[in-house]
Amino acid sequence: MRNILVTGGSRGIGLAIARRLAASGDYNVVAVARRESGELAAAIREAQRCLHFRACDLAATDAIPAFAKSVRDKFGAIYGLVNNAGIGTDGLLATMSNSQIEALIRLNVLSPIILTKYVARHMMADGVGRIVNISSIVASTGYSGLSVYAASKAAVTGFTRSLAREVGKVGITVNAIAPGFIDTELTSSLDDQGRRRITGRSALRRLPEADDVASMVEYLLGEGGRNITGTVLTVDAGNTA
Amino acid sequence: MSVKSKIFSAMKQIAEEQKVALPPLEDDLPLNDTGFDSLALAILVARLEDELGIDPFTVAEDAAFPSTLGEFVRAYENVPA
Repeated sequence: MRNILVTGGSRGIGLAIARRLAASGDYNVVAVARRESGELAAAIREAQRCLHFRACDLAATDAIPAFAKSVRDKFGAIYGLVNNAGIGTDGLLATMSNSQIEALIRLNVLSPIILTKYVARHMMADGVGRIVNISSIVASTGYSGLSVYAASKAAVTGFTRSLAREVGKVGITVNAIAPGFIDTELTSSLDDQGRRRITGRSALRRLPEADDVASMVEYLLGEGGRNITGTVLTVDAGNTA
Repeated sequence: MSVKSKIFSAMKQIAEEQKVALPPLEDDLPLNDTGFDSLALAILVARLEDELGIDPFTVAEDAAFPSTLGEFVRAYENVPA
């Protein structure tokens, strides 16, 4: 079974991805997070040895090389990497603290880039691999109060396109998924009115769900994704249509 | 097998996979003249990390990539495994 590393795998979209991939029977999934949530622990019990938890604070970028090596030593070659971990601190730029800005850019941009470096090197040596980065529709639209988050997600799409060019020659695909607004802890600060406004703006008059993003990840990792690289796939129930 | 011979055998294998004609491997051979492009060198470093358990180029803060094959080999010999 192919090993897939999913960061931010204890909650929200990451947990949905980890669950779906483990349930497919095609993958051995390693969910990465600072702490194992109760929901992830339950999913691990259900998945019967196809889903594992590894603790890592990805914001501590110095520890990433050793972490990547420990996963490879324990589980073997990593076929797929899903860079999903992120924080969504909102607020007007004018009043956001500099330390909040730095922490957001660190976890949403620097951490996935460095983790990808250490995982992709071995994919290159193996001549096979799939990388999926979770971006956001906010990378290409605009939303007041999310300027820093949006900057981090736009960075992810830029990273995706150029890395796809770099590693395509050795058989690795790199893609980004841009979800629309999805109800998770990360978006809990949005009130009902804001939620209704986003729903009303969406072609399908509903919000996408975490599992919709998980389906897209599954597709990109599977046979259907073999000739898709360097692109951004939008899963937003038509919000940006 | 010495570190040097492990490096040389990894290079020969990658040259074969990447269809690169490898010149005779001498200490003063510039890495640019090995026929390896940056991608092939990245694959070499990754394979050697698997085999030797070390990557001398990401540990160092001021990592200047070596310019000759001899310097490249010494970078591995000088790192305590």
